[in-house]
Amino acid sequence: MRKKLYSALIILTAAVFLGSAAYAATLKIGVAGPLTGDQAAFGEMLKNGATLAVEEWNARGGVKVGKKKMKVDILWGDDRHDPREGVSIAHKFVNSGAAGIVGHFNSSVSIPASTVYAEAGVVQITPASTNPKLTEQGFSTVFRVCGRDDQQGEVAANYIVDKLKLKRIAILHDKTTYGQGLADETKRFLEKRGVKPVFYSGVVQGDKDYTPVLTAAKQAKPELVYFGGIHPEAILLVKQMRERLGMKALFMSGDGIVTEEYYKIAGKSAEGTLITFTPDQTKLAAAQSVIKKHRKRFGKEVGAYTIYSYVAMNMILNSIQATGSTKGSKLAAHLRSKAWNTSLGKLQFNKKGDVLESPYVLWEVKGSKFVEMK
Amino acid sequence: MFAQQLVNGLVVGAVYALIALGYTLVYGILQLINFAHGEIYMIGAYVGIAVLAVLGTMGLTQTSLALSIVLVFLIPMIYCAAYGITLERVAYRPLRGAPRLSPLISAIGMSLFLQNYVQVVQGARDKAFPNLLELGSFQLFGAYVNGLQIFILIIAVGLMAALQLFIKKTKLGKAMRATAQDRTMASLVGVNVNRVIAVTFAIGSVLAAVAGVMVGMYYGIVNHHIGFVAGMKAFTAAVLGGIGNVTGAFLGGFLLALLESFWAGYVSAVYKDVFAFMVLVVVLIFRPQGILGGSGEADRT
Repeated sequence: MRKKLYSALIILTAAVFLGSAAYAATLKIGVAGPLTGDQAAFGEMLKNGATLAVEEWNARGGVKVGKKKMKVDILWGDDRHDPREGVSIAHKFVNSGAAGIVGHFNSSVSIPASTVYAEAGVVQITPASTNPKLTEQGFSTVFRVCGRDDQQGEVAANYIVDKLKLKRIAILHDKTTYGQGLADETKRFLEKRGVKPVFYSGVVQGDKDYTPVLTAAKQAKPELVYFGGIHPEAILLVKQMRERLGMKALFMSGDGIVTEEYYKIAGKSAEGTLITFTPDQTKLAAAQSVIKKHRKRFGKEVGAYTIYSYVAMNMILNSIQATGSTKGSKLAAHLRSKAWNTSLGKLQFNKKGDVLESPYVLWEVKGSKFVEMK
Repeated sequence: MFAQQLVNGLVVGAVYALIALGYTLVYGILQLINFAHGEIYMIGAYVGIAVLAVLGTMGLTQTSLALSIVLVFLIPMIYCAAYGITLERVAYRPLRGAPRLSPLISAIGMSLFLQNYVQVVQGARDKAFPNLLELGSFQLFGAYVNGLQIFILIIAVGLMAALQLFIKKTKLGKAMRATAQDRTMASLVGVNVNRVIAVTFAIGSVLAAVAGVMVGMYYGIVNHHIGFVAGMKAFTAAVLGGIGNVTGAFLGGFLLALLESFWAGYVSAVYKDVFAFMVLVVVLIFRPQGILGGSGEADRT
């Protein structure tokens, strides 16, 4: 019996080695984000965008590295917006020989994970992490195709001061790198314009009842409540403001709430919510073919960060083909070397790895959908 | 602000208390902390969504609101009672003679299993709980009160009163109390101990199902890990009140929620949970048996 077991084990081990040998000719790219959990809506966008790009490349026979064509294989990483998970996924990716990374979604995960990628010399392009610190660490292999929260906060603050002309602002955040970072940037720019927030507090991420903190905020008689965070908390906050406490103050937030869940679950309460986000991608001529392909492949419309993920994946694969190398430093140099024609229009990276121009504009929820404001 | 925080706290307290009762009932009889209890509550909320979806397509939510409300509570109650009984039969009864740690580990295992099972079957994304009961709001002492909040409080207090009556007045309640005092002795005088334990799990699960549906209605959003935090808080409430003590669980639930609400409103929303558990630690240092005293005193389950 024991002998049989041993021989079975040996065969199995051999099979595993053979299996990996057969796949050695593939090019591995890591894609990581909150694929499950309460932020899975964003994870799905990352996943679909990257999948679409890779399927196109593989249909064309793969990526040409030097003389031979290699198929692309995605390594999935589900970080569940947990920084610790993110770091262990980063180690896993690096150890499995990933040639590039698309991810992560949350700034709180992208920043610690970026240390691991940078040390291993693996190129990382995040489609969605907007916290300024990510590209301020001085890592040459870290890039983002989205904007930065200092840009986003400035647009929000200017809109509040110039267009809405409001003075009494309450600021809430979810205590994460992204949420608090965005809230603090908005606060900083508001103060620069002479508006001192009347209320400022963090809330517990994952909690269900925010009426106590909202009641305290209500005492300060805010005309607008600004929230730095992601949609699960934003839904509860706006619902409880309207339905439980009868607060009429405007509600404003950032790119972290741009999912259909937000207006679907919050319903009536979500109407009139103000959001800072990049201009409507679905109106871009360059994006039309991706949008069509996405609809055909997944049977639904693209989400806020689907095309960003698609673009990030394409940039990595293009750079590998152009340089014929998977070395991080070479890919990074290539990524910086030119202006890219992407599905999001022209993109160019600066020295830090940020895109040169990232105009945030104002959106609102109107008639159960997100509408770009004129 | 005081009145508003009171309202905020009472509603959350009603939910904590209902779940805490399940912990306390089971502990009173088996000296087991049923960590999977929070998941039963979560399943209750999911069944509520399913029932509402079916009723919605049948058009019943429009034609007969009263019947829909009854069904949206009743079906999850039955469903969760079955879950509770199965849980006991599968995970705890085979371990009844085992050392105390074994059923505890089994409980944690069941909790993880149920959570992941629901995630696989229902998906990981948040689910919206359809609006069934649209009640108006009014002002009371400067507090904004919603009809749904009153509805939740009435149901919770009513159920707790019914439970007290059941334990004190009925024959099955008497058998429960006897089993809690001495399981061997109770079986010697003719109490069907296995049945009593099954009934205890069923009652706890029914209360959790009600809590689950109420939370779904109140917050409008459900996911597969709401059971974890709610279970933790309810467990804290049960310990605070004195685990094994029915009145204690009731009191502990409201006390914990009110403390949280006032702390978050007046001091710091950031350290709300820290404060909740700090209170627990302090109470346990000075009164290890909880505020009302746990099982072993007069008010045993």
